[in-house]
Amino acid sequence: MMQQVKKFNVYERERDRRLLFTKNLTPGKSFFAEMLLKDRGAEYRAWDVSRSKLGAGIKKGASQIGIKEGDAVLYLGASHGFTPSYVSDMVGRDGFVFCLDFAPRVVRDLVFVCEERENMAPILADANQPESYKELVPAEVDVVFQDVAQKNQLGIFLKNCDSYLKTGGFGLLALKARSVDVTKKPREIFERVRKELEKHPGMTVVDYRDLYPFEKDHALFICKKK
Amino acid sequence: MADYSSLRKKNLLLAKRLVRESVNPDLFIINAVNNAEELQRVQNNLAKRLREWYSLYFPELDKKIQDHEEYITHVLKGDKHKLLKEWKVDECMGSELDKKELEGIRHLAESIRGLYEEEKRLVEYLEKTMKAYSPNLNTLAGAVIGAKLLRGAGSLRKLAMMRSSTIQLIGAEKALFRHIKTGAKPPKYGHLLQHPLVQRAKKDDRGRMARALADKIFVAVRIDYFKGEYKGDELLKEVEVKLR
Repeated sequence: MMQQVKKFNVYERERDRRLLFTKNLTPGKSFFAEMLLKDRGAEYRAWDVSRSKLGAGIKKGASQIGIKEGDAVLYLGASHGFTPSYVSDMVGRDGFVFCLDFAPRVVRDLVFVCEERENMAPILADANQPESYKELVPAEVDVVFQDVAQKNQLGIFLKNCDSYLKTGGFGLLALKARSVDVTKKPREIFERVRKELEKHPGMTVVDYRDLYPFEKDHALFICKKK
Repeated sequence: MADYSSLRKKNLLLAKRLVRESVNPDLFIINAVNNAEELQRVQNNLAKRLREWYSLYFPELDKKIQDHEEYITHVLKGDKHKLLKEWKVDECMGSELDKKELEGIRHLAESIRGLYEEEKRLVEYLEKTMKAYSPNLNTLAGAVIGAKLLRGAGSLRKLAMMRSSTIQLIGAEKALFRHIKTGAKPPKYGHLLQHPLVQRAKKDDRGRMARALADKIFVAVRIDYFKGEYKGDELLKEVEVKLR
């Protein structure tokens, strides 16, 4: 029995502790050898949350993720397109996901996913330079999601939120503490990042989740732009 | 909701073009050296298997020949009675196998020999490519170690931007981060340990040697990246002086 998770376009079953489900936009097709299953006429795609920081955040009980039907999402650090494909399921046919990554090797795989899904587009660019892709994404998006594992990931996130996030939109940051500083305790880094997010004009932290045990030393920050 | 279909088309075309344009000599070298390493791994595993199997027939040979390649040539010579005399074994512990059983062993030996040939071809290719692409690095580090350094950095450009202390530790990332994280002993060398100059140095001098070598490799890589003159031999001499 599929049950909706809060008000999100995400579903779960009681017995799957590491799985979430989204309604498949491309029925019959699976992209990463994930399980497809039917429930009352709709097809669902299984979502292994230990491979996805957004999924882990939802499983850990995030109160809000800000991704609604019809949203335009800027996804930074899209990689092969695993999580983006689920975001694309969540925003549905009227929404759109702009998937950005700067490694040609993974964009190669990403292109194949985007070709099959009509609400996704690949962008090969550096998230650290938001101006460089201003012609490739809309001027304002509803959600910015970032998962880049760079040292200055917070800086990159704020820059992109300032440039592209609309007022009232959500910014989601998956933070890898070990990329910021291996010598510090992850907790300290989470605290510091949270303070800096709050200090940034226009940003409020709505929720924050440590992703353990799905990801070690990672946290998901959910922010709203005022 | 805005219509993004034209934007999507534009992005798909652009991304494809950029992926196509991202192919460069660095990637050829990195793929070749990855493949060479993989071949070595498979060779060793299969050679161990072969030794186990052939030892049913001729167990004494396993202890007498350490080198896998040589071992294989002996296996392929066939008749063990000639080998017995050659290696002066009077009382062989192995049992007699018929042709049918020996056939399988021979096939395995031949495949492994094929892998060794493949690896040699690959190393030749690497030598040629490295000589054309970064002659100074090739002279100083050798084709395979040079290629591994390049892989560790990601590209020649990135390698040229590194300082020598970083170059010295490429390939020792695990030990380096263990050192930073827990305060364990810092590593002295990464891939450079396999370099003949470092190998020839006394054990206590290896760290020093790796540092001197990394120093000159640092210079060499910068000359290569900025397309300067060939200075490899002079640089190599400057390192060799330190070996004493």
